[in-house]
Amino acid sequence: MSDLPGLPRFRTFTFAAGVLAVVLAGGCAAPGESKDSGSSGTGPIKIALVDAQSGQLSSLGKWEYKGAKLAVDEWNTAGGINGRKIRLDVFDDQGDPTVGTNIARKIDSQKYLAMIGTAESAVTIAMAPTLRQAEIPNIASGQSPGMVALKSPFLFLNGPTSTTYDETLAKYLVDTKKLKKIAFISNNGAYGKGEHDAFLKALSGRGITPVDDEVVTTDQKDFSAQLTKIRQRQPQVVFIGAEEVESGLIVKQARDLGINAPFAGAAPQGTPVFRDTAGAANAEGTIVSSPYLSNDTSAATKKFAAAYKAAFGEEAELHGAKAYDGTQIMLTAMKNSGVATGKKLADAIRAVKYEGLMGDFAFDATGVGITATSIGIIRKGTLVKAEG
Amino acid sequence: MQVFLQTLVGGLSLGAVYALVAMGFSLVYRTMGLVNFAHGDVLMIGAYTASTFYTSTRLPFAVAIVSAIAVTGLIGLVIERVLRPLENKDVTLMLIGTIGFGMVLQALAILIWGATGRAVASPVKSAPLDVFGLRIRTYDLVVVAIAAIAVVLLVAFLQRTKRGAAMQAVAMDHEAATAVGIHVGRSNAIAFAIGAGLAALAGGLAGPMLYVNPTMGGTLGIKGFAAAMLGGCGNIPGAIVGGLAIGVLDSYAAGHFQGYSELVVFLVFTVLIMIRPTGLFGETTVSRA
Repeated sequence: MSDLPGLPRFRTFTFAAGVLAVVLAGGCAAPGESKDSGSSGTGPIKIALVDAQSGQLSSLGKWEYKGAKLAVDEWNTAGGINGRKIRLDVFDDQGDPTVGTNIARKIDSQKYLAMIGTAESAVTIAMAPTLRQAEIPNIASGQSPGMVALKSPFLFLNGPTSTTYDETLAKYLVDTKKLKKIAFISNNGAYGKGEHDAFLKALSGRGITPVDDEVVTTDQKDFSAQLTKIRQRQPQVVFIGAEEVESGLIVKQARDLGINAPFAGAAPQGTPVFRDTAGAANAEGTIVSSPYLSNDTSAATKKFAAAYKAAFGEEAELHGAKAYDGTQIMLTAMKNSGVATGKKLADAIRAVKYEGLMGDFAFDATGVGITATSIGIIRKGTLVKAEG
Repeated sequence: MQVFLQTLVGGLSLGAVYALVAMGFSLVYRTMGLVNFAHGDVLMIGAYTASTFYTSTRLPFAVAIVSAIAVTGLIGLVIERVLRPLENKDVTLMLIGTIGFGMVLQALAILIWGATGRAVASPVKSAPLDVFGLRIRTYDLVVVAIAAIAVVLLVAFLQRTKRGAAMQAVAMDHEAATAVGIHVGRSNAIAFAIGAGLAALAGGLAGPMLYVNPTMGGTLGIKGFAAAMLGGCGNIPGAIVGGLAIGVLDSYAAGHFQGYSELVVFLVFTVLIMIRPTGLFGETTVSRA
């Protein structure tokens, strides 16, 4: 390691590696090269789906892709829009905002009409300025209030923001269940921070201060120190603001340390990944605020879940359902506007009133269409609607 | 006091896993003068293989881990064989080669097992022990015990067997070792295979504590590498001390510095390495470029 004896060879190698990387990247990107298929009025309607297809957040990206594809396939089977087929091309953002901004420029130069995704607020926020300038409407799945703060007329959300999730949660815990001793454990990532701030705000509006407020990192694996502190405060409920896997690990370790209070959180705590990581017995009683509690809540969700199962051979869940709703709205707006582009398409999306799996969509000026969630509780390993 | 002790317990169990990872790094470094950057990804493959044998084919946990060690041992042999032409010529290229192997292993894992990952149920079902209000997980005790046994076996192999002595000789002076008839390539291959086997052991044991997914090698690999460097790269007892130290440091930093704990751990690590560049048990180690 001390010297570089083979410097010329080293250069050749890095060059070769570079070429390989370019080829590989090209292979991963969508094959959207034909010039005449954009907004010209003929050929397929090009929609980009941007989501993590590799890396740590790829499960979100895969769910989202399946939901969007299901919607597109439905429309294509019914004959497309104005006789034109819809083409959904996948771009892998790896959950990385830098990769995302590159993709934003790419989908602009390749004349995509609209974009579905991403599931990560941070990536969506990074891409937003480019998409706004290029006037490409985007229906995203993140829930960070930071997306709303951008005030981009081209950015829409296919679900509620953290503010909604946590206001509903606070209402249930404090107003309905009269719980006062609440402890916090959240991570310092974009999602965890958003959840922490939104729930803290919802609590302080009710005059309640958490008995303990612990912050962990997104990479942390051992939570003994924080959980022991929480145990000493004997909270009635522990609010958890972290993604699926980390939440599962926290709950598992908490039970091992003898914390018996229920945990409460938002969408990640309602997923099978959370339940399996924590262990079904440990996850029992977890209180979840979500716009999509289960596949059995209504006729629409049952139909969606059946189609999802038939197409992909697995159970539908929240993220696929959100993407399905978002894509339906996008396609409806295209149909209503006669396949318009840019600002006209954005206005058409804003005008869509849609009864979806998440609820009844009615977009306001900020791009938010859903402002309600329901409370579910994990009972015998599955999420059921809370009574009262 | 309770927080202090509970934090120590939590740190030690993960520390035992880091120690196993660090031992794999150290063994390969000791014999070849090479940091194997694919080590974390070999660990991940080991974790997946063990969990597959354990949950899908319902083998006993111990058998599943031994099978995983066999699989990754083979992977170790393959990596060494591919890198062998570069041995003694270009360590930089070998380093890049190991990074490349890591990427290939990650891509393979996604192809075989998908990107989502899986939770592994704990093989030890009994409730945590309660010692004066301290909760000690029985599975953690198993992990620490197995790690200790692995250390004893490895040290015995290196110091008590002919093959081990030969590997030590290659590490000290490979030309002299060749002159007395030791096959350097074979010695390196064994080092790589054992190193990969240790990674599988660490991964297999970490599975029920954590969550098995294609990127898990990143976190455990970087902490294990830091542990190896802290102990003195190439030094086996150092790897163990380094592993436990990083685990415990991590745990306390998490309690005191919350969201900034990762930063603090690596700052402390950097300061320690600046004071003792060769690590705690530092010796001038091999560099065979």
